[in-house]
This record gives sequence, structure tokens and C-alpha cells, in this order.
Amino acid sequence: MSVTAFDISRLAREYETKSPQEILALALSAFDGVAISFSGAEDVVLLDMATKIRTDVRVFSLDTGRLHAETYRYLERLREHYGLALEILFPEPGAVEQLVREKGLFSFYRDGHQECCAIRKVAPLRRKLATLEAWITGQRKDQSPGTRNRIAVVERDSAFSTEEHTLIKFNPLANWTSEQVWRYIRDNEVPYNELHERGFVSIGCEPCTRAVLPNQHEREGRWWWEDVTDKECGLHAANVAIAARR
Amino acid sequence: MPAITLVKKITADGLPCRKCAEVEARLRERGLWARIDRVVIADERDPDSEGMRLGAVYGVERAPFFIVHGDGGQEIVYTMFLKFLKEVLQANPSEAEEAKALLENNPDLYV
Repeated sequence: MSVTAFDISRLAREYETKSPQEILALALSAFDGVAISFSGAEDVVLLDMATKIRTDVRVFSLDTGRLHAETYRYLERLREHYGLALEILFPEPGAVEQLVREKGLFSFYRDGHQECCAIRKVAPLRRKLATLEAWITGQRKDQSPGTRNRIAVVERDSAFSTEEHTLIKFNPLANWTSEQVWRYIRDNEVPYNELHERGFVSIGCEPCTRAVLPNQHEREGRWWWEDVTDKECGLHAANVAIAARR
Repeated sequence: MPAITLVKKITADGLPCRKCAEVEARLRERGLWARIDRVVIADERDPDSEGMRLGAVYGVERAPFFIVHGDGGQEIVYTMFLKFLKEVLQANPSEAEEAKALLENNPDLYV
């Protein structure tokens, strides 16, 4: 199906209450240029479901160069377990070299994670997505109630689409909870990243990921030092209001 | 050629905010700093500072931002650095710069 013929709004409504497997089946049947983005964590359930629908599913993962050794081992294990031609994407070497030369290996603790993430994750992801009609992610509403609670099961990707290229994004796990994901992993004996056994929930790069305590939200295990710097550039509303009244 | 005002923020400790310092450095690296005609300070310690007032006037909540004053008296406010870079200074951002802007404008990207 062409992207222009794909009726996003109707299908988003129609599939909102359908199972992740049904949403995956739609994605895999509607587009030839579709691939699953795998983060190396609990989104493995997508791989398990997808390979049961079709064996030639395309999967890619981002190797930032800073992943845990456990995650590298896990990627290799999945390649063998599912017989996947797992595509690993790498950042542009010149950009990484320049960042490290100018700012060192841990600039994100001082300057925030965006610059490093942009080079090591977003740029290679953007290059890959420019070649696809649609992609499939493991995003869920319960991962970040503040910002992800409006995720649709299928949507136009507003971040990566351009004027010339519309990209469709499928989020088959949008309405699943972490509990449902883990029930599926246990019931289906899906291989999981060994870091989960040590309290890691959301897993990214090694320097930017930490284990969380019971009942701590998973996002507290990522970029935990950034609360203050995030607000640094704000022209604080209270002050502006006072100034405007003078 | 339009006149350009840059509004940058000074934080409570008297230092420029991280983003403002970074934008200034990027303009200097590209040899474009001379295109900025005026720098106005939004001082967190002084709500009456000119930059804070301009933020209120233009409804801008984050620094840095640029005000481009056209020959005909019209003013355009740019809060997105890359858009300003492309549209006003006619400079091409690098892949890394575009990726960073993407992340800043979509903080909950799948990363």
C-alpha cells in the first residue's frame, strides 16, 4: 500500500482497541518498506510477535558505541534465537570524533544528553527512517504518563516526516502496560536483557541508564541528573509577568 | 539587510545559560557572529531587564531568541536556532545540528 492511500485517522480509530499482534499484522501487510526499531529492552515482545506473523521481518537497532556489554550480548542472542538479519546502525564517525575531541567522553553530564544523543542516536535513526515508508516502535503510554499518554497505535510520524516524505509510525504496545509486557515475556519464554534482573527497566546507553528502585518510575533511570538544566533556559513566567506589568 | 537582535539569558549565578552560550559559540565558529547587530540580556536576577521585557512583549518563554527587524519595519521572532540559521543567515546546518534540533523540539523521541 502506498503511504498516501493509507488512511491513518480511520485505522488509528479502528485499531485503537485491537491487540498488538493485530496492529503488527496491519503494519507488516500494508507496507513493504516497514521495519521494527528495537531498543534492546522489553520491546523484544514486538520481535517475538512479528516473527510469528512473518519470518522475513526487518529489524534494526542503534549501536551508539556506549551500550552495556549485556545489551551487545543480548542483540547477538536474539539474532540467533529468531534467525534475524538484525541491522545495526552506527553514528557518523566524524561527528562522534569531533564531539569527543572537543568535549570529552562524558559531556552529557555537564551539557545535557541532547548533543550526544543527536549524534549517536537521532542522526543515524533519521538516515534510516528516510529510507522507510513506516516503522514500528515499542512506545507505550505508561512509559511516560506526561508525554506519551496520547500515543496512537498508528500515526503520522510528526518528528521524522518531511514535506517530501511522509512516515507512518506504528506503536502496537501503546495501550499495554509494563505488567502485560512482562506477562507476555514470561508466558512465551521470550529471551530478555539480563540487565532487567538487576533492576534496570528502561535501557539505553550505559552512562545514561541506571537501575531503579521498586515503585520508582522507569524514566527515573534515564538522564536523572537533568532536572535542573532542563529548566535553565526558561524565561520564568512569574518574572516575565511582573516585568510586563511594570 | 535586516538588523538582528539576539536575546540571551544570564542565570542567577551570573553566567550565560548553557543553550545561549552554545548558540553564540556556534555562530562564532561559522564566522556569523558579526551578523548579530545587538545582544540584549534577559537577566534572571532582574525581572525588569530589557531581555525579560522583550520576552514578555513577544510572548517568548525560552532563551535564546532572535528578533529580525526588516527594512519595512516588520519584525520576525525566531525561537528555533536552526530555522533562524537557514532562513535569515542562509547557512546550512550539519546533520548533527539538525538531529539535535529534532530532539529539542521532540523531547520524547524514541531514544
